[in-house]
Amino acid sequence: MSKLDKTNEHEEHTPSSSFSREIEKEPGGADIQHCIQCGMCTASCMVASVTEKYRPRKLIQKILLGMREEVLTSELPWLCMTCRQCEERCQEDVSLAEIFHAVRNIAAREGYIPVGVQKVVDTVMEDGWMLKDGYSDFIEDDRDDLGLHTDLGWNNEFVKKIKKRFIDGGNKK
Amino acid sequence: MTTEREPKSKASRDGTGIKSKEALVIGGGVAGMTAALDIANQGFKVTLVEKAPSIGGVMAAIDKTFPTLDCSACILTPKLSEVAHHPNIDLLTYSEIKSITGETGDFRVKVHKKARYIDEDNCNGCNDCVPVCPVELPNEFDENLGFRKAIYAPFPQATPHIMTVEKKGEPACRATCPAEVNAQGFITMMRHGKYDEGLEIFRRSNPFAGVLGRVCVSFCEGECERGMLDESLSIRNLHRFLADYERMNEVAPVVAKIDKKDRVAVIGAGPGGISCAYQLAHLGYPVTIFEEREEPGGMLRYAIPEYRLPREVLDEEIQRVLDMGVKLVTKTKITSIKSLQEKGFKAVFVATGTWQSNKLGLKGEDSEGVIHAIDFLESTCRGKEITIGKRVAVIGGGDAAIDSARVAIRLGAKDVTMIYRRSHVEIPAIPSEVQDAMKEGVKLMLLTSPMELIVNKGKLSGVRCIKMRLGEPDTSGRRRPVPITNSEFTMAVDNLIIAVGQSADQKGVQTDVECSKWGNAVADPITLATKTPGVFAGGDIVLGPNTVVKAVGHGNQAAISIDRFLRGVDMMEGRAKHRHRVQSYEVDKEGVPLDARAAMPKQGVDSRVRDFDEVELGFNEAMAEEEAERCLGCAVCCECERCVTACQRDAIDHNMKDEVIDLHVGALVLATGYKLFDISEYTQFGYGKIPNVISAMEFERLINAAGPTQGHLLRLSDGRKPKSIGFINCVGARDVQKGVPYCSRVCCMFSIKNSVMCKQHDADIDVTVYYADIRAFGKGFEEFYENAHTRFGVNFVRGRVGGVSQVKDNGTLRIQVENTETVKLMEIEHDLIVINPGIIPPDGLDDLAVELSMDLSEEGYVDVRDTILTPVDTPIDGVFVCGCADGPKDIPDSVSAGSAAAMRATIVLSKGDE
Repeated sequence: MSKLDKTNEHEEHTPSSSFSREIEKEPGGADIQHCIQCGMCTASCMVASVTEKYRPRKLIQKILLGMREEVLTSELPWLCMTCRQCEERCQEDVSLAEIFHAVRNIAAREGYIPVGVQKVVDTVMEDGWMLKDGYSDFIEDDRDDLGLHTDLGWNNEFVKKIKKRFIDGGNKK
Repeated sequence: MTTEREPKSKASRDGTGIKSKEALVIGGGVAGMTAALDIANQGFKVTLVEKAPSIGGVMAAIDKTFPTLDCSACILTPKLSEVAHHPNIDLLTYSEIKSITGETGDFRVKVHKKARYIDEDNCNGCNDCVPVCPVELPNEFDENLGFRKAIYAPFPQATPHIMTVEKKGEPACRATCPAEVNAQGFITMMRHGKYDEGLEIFRRSNPFAGVLGRVCVSFCEGECERGMLDESLSIRNLHRFLADYERMNEVAPVVAKIDKKDRVAVIGAGPGGISCAYQLAHLGYPVTIFEEREEPGGMLRYAIPEYRLPREVLDEEIQRVLDMGVKLVTKTKITSIKSLQEKGFKAVFVATGTWQSNKLGLKGEDSEGVIHAIDFLESTCRGKEITIGKRVAVIGGGDAAIDSARVAIRLGAKDVTMIYRRSHVEIPAIPSEVQDAMKEGVKLMLLTSPMELIVNKGKLSGVRCIKMRLGEPDTSGRRRPVPITNSEFTMAVDNLIIAVGQSADQKGVQTDVECSKWGNAVADPITLATKTPGVFAGGDIVLGPNTVVKAVGHGNQAAISIDRFLRGVDMMEGRAKHRHRVQSYEVDKEGVPLDARAAMPKQGVDSRVRDFDEVELGFNEAMAEEEAERCLGCAVCCECERCVTACQRDAIDHNMKDEVIDLHVGALVLATGYKLFDISEYTQFGYGKIPNVISAMEFERLINAAGPTQGHLLRLSDGRKPKSIGFINCVGARDVQKGVPYCSRVCCMFSIKNSVMCKQHDADIDVTVYYADIRAFGKGFEEFYENAHTRFGVNFVRGRVGGVSQVKDNGTLRIQVENTETVKLMEIEHDLIVINPGIIPPDGLDDLAVELSMDLSEEGYVDVRDTILTPVDTPIDGVFVCGCADGPKDIPDSVSAGSAAAMRATIVLSKGDE
């Protein structure tokens, strides 16, 4: 069967809200109305298995119910590891990782970025990689023990060039 | 070729064109049975076609029905019996639709009725045949949890109440054997340690279990299906073991039973002649074998060296044949077939063989030091003193060449070289013999051909050879050797043994009948009859030099022809082979552990080259049993015919053939049912990998009193009673990703029923049902759900299960689920997990739709014309549908649809002329 046809006639099982309509229009958010709240995602979620605050089904439910402010200001959509196990198993073919991606895009546009995430982004922007500060003497020793090169050959000049050409130079924030 | 079929829906509705007042119901489940009964009870004839050996469908395998908890078998059995005995119902089980043409009121249907090898009128289902059947296989009716035999009735109330033999055809081993030895048969007996029975099966078609167990080229092993998996079975060594085992133990005396008058003469006491005499003596004919030499056996005695075939084995097996009443006259050369006929022999079988060694055609072939292999081997076999030089060359690559080379080693030659003009791939000798010869020091000089024999003072001193390469294949299919220019070389030899084949004696007795220019008798390839009436010929004298087993095959065929000739029956009838040979894809090899073939224990090389003691020592019992266990049983039924002996009503016929039945019907009802979704596709649940995850149908059989555990609810992994059971719903249903977006309509109630059954078995069992939502829509369903919860104490958790894993060595399982009512993510341990699979269209429904030129729905079900107003009418006039063929249904709905379809069908039929 053609998946496209199926998607078009797919019943909407759930209450819809303006926020869920908004998500639907974002790239990747198209399937949100198909959710039947069966709980397969939470039962399959790696993050949910280690932290009680993260429940993907609950988060989708809040979107469906139109709790826009609460969802966008929350750090929960940022906790998804995009392992996509839930998508693999979801019997309604809802792409949770894509939906949370759409939520994060909206949140970022409106300035709701969790401090931790913002820090990471800043570090990358500055150094070109996430773990420059983390590359300590200890790791250097470990690499040495394993017979690996200790000098990663990081080229800051190159990072600057990239930034100038694609980020700063392109007038993007 | 494409054929355009006429659309079938244009027939008139006014009754013209209703040419048959009979109906056909396809599918014998509860819906099809209901339809057939309702049509029949309105006075119309109806044919019910069912694919399985019994009608009853899935309902017959179910333990209880919901919501009333009636015993499924108890309410179904009266219906089964009513169908079986209804005068208007013609029941065709084990049958499938082959083709459908025509239109409403005038359908022509061909039904393929598979051979069940049982006479339906004679069999009374007494089960006497079942205990004697040696073939065990998983019982499909018990969801493969238990075992059944190759001859079986699927369940005690099977209807019709007769047995079925599952037989796929002729296994490769038997199909390839020139003597048609039933290898699967005797090997199956060996698996059960029944060596005498195994030997009896072997001896049905071959008197030489021990002899051929040593010298056969084993065509069967080349084709053995096990070879497609790891290594072929050592079939030859297995029947050698049977013969060895008999020799080691008591041998039952042979009783002569010659009760016929017509005397038969056999010329030549080789394997062909003896086999023919053996088969004829079985039939009661008085046979006399005439042999030119001192002792019987032919090439077996005078060409095959003793280290391969100890003479006492040969003597004993020939003696058995003589004990059957066969007369043997040795030292008598027959020179005229006519004189034999004049002496009163009504039929003559000529099997004189080919005893003339072929010549190389080189100068100096008769000088001293050049020996022909047949003379060399015969002299050795007769125990004559032969002196042989230090350096010996053997020309040829057949068994005679290998035998000559190995004999030369044993006679003290230090340097033995085999010169063969093709490569090791084409070498015709038995591979294990080539290996053994090389181990004993024989050198192989391949792709080499002799050009000239160098003779010094009348004595051979050397041979000049040329190297060859392989060119294009010749008429024999082997690549033709082509000489390489300037590659000649000379090697010094003391003796040259020529083993380049044999031919028939140009002046032999066979010249009394028509012969080819090579002196071979000309005989019909199937009947072996020569142009002279009453004279038959077989073995090497017809084929040219060939294998022992082919001679035995010819002996068998000649015996059949001679018997028919003497009875004045057509010799050809039914002789051409058209049995279906079991193909590789038909043999299920999945999950069979790899295992190498048993190696034959052999005498050490150093000691064996000093004398003529037997090299191969034979299997011991443990090896034989283990090797026999590797047999895949390709054809399922092994035709040991134990059932034929056990049956007191003469109801089993292993020669039965498939039939095609033509039907002319006015209306069709499709009741093809459903199949269950393959839940192993859900890898997260581990079905098929984790032992205590089972499907709902397996659970049905486990709690069924007639099931494999007699109704005791046990875990199959360890036989322990489960203390806690979880049911998982919606697996393979309501799943967009898996292509089954629709609800399977029964699994909610099915799981509620099964959870209640658990509680009824043992109220202490903790039972939990995991669901997405409970659909209890039918009459009494909601109350049943309520009762399960409140009265029986079944737990219901709303939330689909994420995954199942085995957490402890004792087989305890852990599932992850979010209880969506409490928003709690839980990890719960169970002893047993039961998965409720969804319902999908059955195999073959699409093929049937093509026959009807009917489009199926997107999901693969039959489409109905209007879901609301004509729910059992298909778009094809005169074709109706019921049961799960048009979508998932529970039993009451299936039965209602069956009645509805019957009524719609009889409306068509009743418009026909009286």
